[in-house]
Amino acid sequence: MLGMGAGRWEEDMSHLLALLFHQGVLDEHFMQLQQLQDESSPNFVSEVISIYFRESEKLLRNIRTLLLDRECTDYRKIGVYLNHLMGSSSSIGANLVRNVCVAFRAASEHCNWAGCLRSLAVLEHEYCYLKNKLHELFQIEQQRVLAAGVRYHPLLQ
Amino acid sequence: MAAIQKLSVQNANAGGSYSSCRVDAGESTALVAPELFPAGLRVLVVDDDVTCLKILEHMLQKCRYHVTTCSEALKALSLLRERKGSFDVVISDVHMPDMDGFKLLELVGLEMDLPVIMMSADGRTSAVMRGIKHGACDYLIKPVRIEELKNIWQHVVRKKWNESKDVEHSGSVEDSDRQRRVGDEAEYDSLVNEGTDGSWKTPKKKRDSKDDEEDGELENEDPSASKKPRVVWSVELHQQFVNAVNQLGIDKAVPKRILELMNVPGLTRENVASHLQKFRLYLKRISGVTQHQSALSNPFCNPVEPNTKVGSLGRLDFHSLTATGQIPPQTLAVLHAELLGRPSGNVVLPVIDSPILLQASSQNSKFLPVEKEIAFGQPLFQCQSGISKPFPPSGINSQDVPSSFSSWPSNQLGVTGSNSELGDMSNTQNNNLLMQMLQHQQEPFNLVVSESHNAINVRPSCLVVPTQLPNNLNGGNCSMPVNKNSMVVAPQPSNSTFNGSSITFDYNILSSQPTNVPLSMGRVADGDFKKIGLLSSYSTPASVSSPSVSSGSVCTNGGAGWRLHNSNMNFDSLNRSPGHLPNLCIPGTEVKSGTSVNYEHARNLGFVGKGTCLPSRFAVDDIESPTNDWNNIKTSVFDDVDKVKQELNLDFLEGSKVDKTMLPNFPSNDFMGVLSK
Repeated sequence: MLGMGAGRWEEDMSHLLALLFHQGVLDEHFMQLQQLQDESSPNFVSEVISIYFRESEKLLRNIRTLLLDRECTDYRKIGVYLNHLMGSSSSIGANLVRNVCVAFRAASEHCNWAGCLRSLAVLEHEYCYLKNKLHELFQIEQQRVLAAGVRYHPLLQ
Repeated sequence: MAAIQKLSVQNANAGGSYSSCRVDAGESTALVAPELFPAGLRVLVVDDDVTCLKILEHMLQKCRYHVTTCSEALKALSLLRERKGSFDVVISDVHMPDMDGFKLLELVGLEMDLPVIMMSADGRTSAVMRGIKHGACDYLIKPVRIEELKNIWQHVVRKKWNESKDVEHSGSVEDSDRQRRVGDEAEYDSLVNEGTDGSWKTPKKKRDSKDDEEDGELENEDPSASKKPRVVWSVELHQQFVNAVNQLGIDKAVPKRILELMNVPGLTRENVASHLQKFRLYLKRISGVTQHQSALSNPFCNPVEPNTKVGSLGRLDFHSLTATGQIPPQTLAVLHAELLGRPSGNVVLPVIDSPILLQASSQNSKFLPVEKEIAFGQPLFQCQSGISKPFPPSGINSQDVPSSFSSWPSNQLGVTGSNSELGDMSNTQNNNLLMQMLQHQQEPFNLVVSESHNAINVRPSCLVVPTQLPNNLNGGNCSMPVNKNSMVVAPQPSNSTFNGSSITFDYNILSSQPTNVPLSMGRVADGDFKKIGLLSSYSTPASVSSPSVSSGSVCTNGGAGWRLHNSNMNFDSLNRSPGHLPNLCIPGTEVKSGTSVNYEHARNLGFVGKGTCLPSRFAVDDIESPTNDWNNIKTSVFDDVDKVKQELNLDFLEGSKVDKTMLPNFPSNDFMGVLSK
């Protein structure tokens, strides 16, 4: 690992990113996010992604709680949470999660409890996938930085 | 994570400040050189989504704006209140747990008059429409792109440009602005023409001074002189406001008292003051001459102004616009809405007005062709096309006035009367129409000629009308009804001066629309003859010349056109016969009632409307026939008018009630639909 040059890490990163883009997990907004990162905020992307996972974790927890009771489900509130999740997901370029949210929201608007549960399962699956891949990406990024001799703090832990 | 954040804290933009509002932009921004604009634009971002907040902050900084972020709407609101003038634009999320983004938008619009950009991941049309309706100047759909943010400075500039215009809806504002400008120009022209008389200026000055007194308070309170009060008022709120103003009377309507009457939590005196200011400007703009007239007769003007301004202004503008043909009916409606300030509320009111105008215009157009039914459906279009026709009627009115007034020389009457008439017209179409009608009946020919010149005068004639009525049989009848209808009406008898007469008219209008209706009826009778001239003058100075021309042939038509606006219905009825008059009046009122959303208008409409909407068509027919037998019609009409007036008076109360109730019910769409029809 340590012996690898920065070029190798960059290659890995681009491969992973290409995969994620190909799968539709990410879209161009993630690139936009990367472009926002500059000298004044070297860790911008990782910061934003960290915030995103922290916040969306709460949202998913809330949604799951709401869906626990079939009788007392507040679909309107679920819709609000989903809207929130859609907004933040699309802002970081998490295209797939966003699309699942759209379907989820449609189910919630129809008060389709079963549909909501299915959507939630899909959403959590995609969410985890995204999180793992982005974590992987940031680890590579960290390695790249280390290899390049620049010290940056770990992006994700 | 914590470590990362700490590291990033060094950056002003860094996280950690998400939950708390950062207020560093204000002063530093002020230092930015103007030439660097839009760099340094002070932006407040409110979003409970911290991820988006962080990204937006960074994006906005890339755009070289001064960014303040806030994750809680309530904090943002308090921040805005504490640091008024420290922000140029607000970007707010729609869904926030502590406060709905639209609520924040409304409050910001009311209190700070700042452009607010809404954003949400929900890009559905209904959601965007909601934002527009609430007065958002833009609606961004997440994910927000930096390209979109680079352009937000335009909203700040546009807002400043539109300050004088009271534009609130960016979405529809652009179109409406253009339209409004056109309308303003038209009004200006008419005003200028009127100004030739000399009476116009005086009233205006008085008016201005009056406004200054009241406005002064507002301005004092508003530190940001550049920012005018923004009317983000909802329809309901605006209705409350209007009710309060009506209750107090325009002259006595002070922001503080209005606020007390409205009793709306969260509404500040500044908001009310700014709205009142806009409202006045709106009325002024609409009425133009009307206000001047009122201003001339201070005592009368005061009471009349409030009511007149509200209803008449809107109508006048529409009428003039339609008459001129410069503005399409729809545009007029839009203008009305804008004038109202509130999109929703305004929309309703404007819509209402526009329909009336449209009707009037349609009537006019119909009159020419003698097509009764068509008038309603295509009034707006017709009006535009046959602008000249409407003008003639106005001229007629002025003529009528002179003739009716024994003391007033025809010439003088024409001049002064025209001025006053214009004002009256603007104040209350119904009144004007009535006046015109009456005048027309009295001195159709002579008056018409002079009147055409004094298109503006026509309005005065409206005022005069009451006096004229006494002189002429018709006039006498008319005056009687007027008095009955409006408490103020009494002033009308004061033939001594056009202004006074006009004022009286306004009073009538103000006091009670029903009164106006009867008056208009009487006027209509007169007006039919002189209608053409009056109308032309009324609508615009330019048209004045045309009015005289058309007066001969158009007279009938013109009268009809006028009637159509306010008393169009009345006219028709008068011309046809007494029996018809009531019917006609009713239709007119109905139509008006629809549009009556505005106080005066509503009332007038309500009166007319009581009878029935249908009358408009009837009226048209009536008008046509009446033209043939003017004399007969006049006499009969007068009698009828008196009856009608009385009837109207009775109906008035009911009508007013109806209007009130109806106003809320009338959606802007409906109005628009009516107009389009």
